[in-house]
Amino acid sequence: MDVSTFEGVGAPSAQESLLARIVRVNEEIKAIVATAFKINLMALNAIFLAKRAGTAALGFGVLSNELRRFAEDLTREMAALRVMTAGSVSTVSSLMQQRRLNSILAATVKECADAQIPALTPVVERGEWSMDEQLTRLRALDKSLHGALADTNRLAELGGVLARSAKIEAAYGGRYSTALMQVSTDFAEVIELIKLSLEKLTKERLAKDR
Amino acid sequence: MKTSHSIYQDGNHRWLAIVRDPERAGHLIDTNEFLVESGGDSLLCDPGGIEIFPAVFSALCAEADPTAIRGIFASHQDPDIISSLALWLDFNPALKCYTSWLWATFLPHFGGTADTFVSIPDEGMPIPLGALDLRAIPAHYLHSSGNHHLYDPKARILFSGDVGAALLPPERNGLFVEDFDSHIRFAEGFHRRWMGSNAAKMAWCERVAALEIDMLCPQHGAIYQGADVGRFIQWFADLDVGRLRE
Repeated sequence: MDVSTFEGVGAPSAQESLLARIVRVNEEIKAIVATAFKINLMALNAIFLAKRAGTAALGFGVLSNELRRFAEDLTREMAALRVMTAGSVSTVSSLMQQRRLNSILAATVKECADAQIPALTPVVERGEWSMDEQLTRLRALDKSLHGALADTNRLAELGGVLARSAKIEAAYGGRYSTALMQVSTDFAEVIELIKLSLEKLTKERLAKDR
Repeated sequence: MKTSHSIYQDGNHRWLAIVRDPERAGHLIDTNEFLVESGGDSLLCDPGGIEIFPAVFSALCAEADPTAIRGIFASHQDPDIISSLALWLDFNPALKCYTSWLWATFLPHFGGTADTFVSIPDEGMPIPLGALDLRAIPAHYLHSSGNHHLYDPKARILFSGDVGAALLPPERNGLFVEDFDSHIRFAEGFHRRWMGSNAAKMAWCERVAALEIDMLCPQHGAIYQGADVGRFIQWFADLDVGRLRE
């Protein structure tokens, strides 16, 4: 995300505004949070199923516990990501507000060009300083968000490995094999969805990074 | 930071209340914003002042998708109601702003173009949203001379702008009115001074008493629900308004 120039902050233009991009990131993260909640329930179901299957699904039982732990970690990571994006939304909307004020001030300076009003200079400077300060905050948030996304990506990779292993273990599940295979396939599909969303988020940010 | 609370939900029909900002500067009056959602579209009621735009926008984003907002309902022209208009329009220039015809040439001073405003006639009008037909209900001179409230007949919710407002101390920060008798003390002075006409007040009381209302949502203070809605209408009908001092 190009926070160095924050092109389009608050400016209705053909180019999508930074606020609209942040909102899209926020919506995507909300969607992953909802999916993470689903995984939590799926992991619980898998644990119950493994218990019913008994000794035939010992390996699957171990993996379903790991998947449950994974779901908890994912929920925690997503909660942290949500806090960060909420912070970004707040900072970008403040930037948008400041930019509008600065543009009104700039228009005033232009209008008063002939009159030479020195008192306007510190007002404009304060506006620019405030903009710089918020921009610095946004860069810091952007960096944290990048880091957190990378961590969540690694976690999702682990989830993918667990789901694949669960599929293998399901094959040894005796008469529960079909049910266990269904659960592990569902897991793999949901984790794949999360990975796709995360990939989309990461790409979007990296593509517009400085 | 303000927080969003869902106060009504039936499928994709939802009312979200955006309330209370403990970090708000003390010199700014606290405001409530309400978002009505239906069928993937939403309408924002009294979005607030320019100073609180970041707080409102962030709280809204936490629970709803701001790109779904199709319109803004401005009950009247005050800065705490609608001075953030330009920022909302920066986010989505296609937004429509529903407001009394009386303010149609005044509100553009906050932002917007000739295409932005949809004038509400004095008698009110339906405002379609998703599968809903919301209704702008006249509330003139309460307190503004061109003033409307928004009624949702399906959710049985009335967004009542400044009517029902209470200037509450920080410790009374509940979303809903919990004890009507102690709550209404914080509303009395406000209504006596800000509501300018007993005749207008009685017309409003008769009008809304005929509606089925489960929740009455003012722009300041707590929400009235259940029997407190009727209690409030009766209390307001009995109150002598338009007085400089008690």
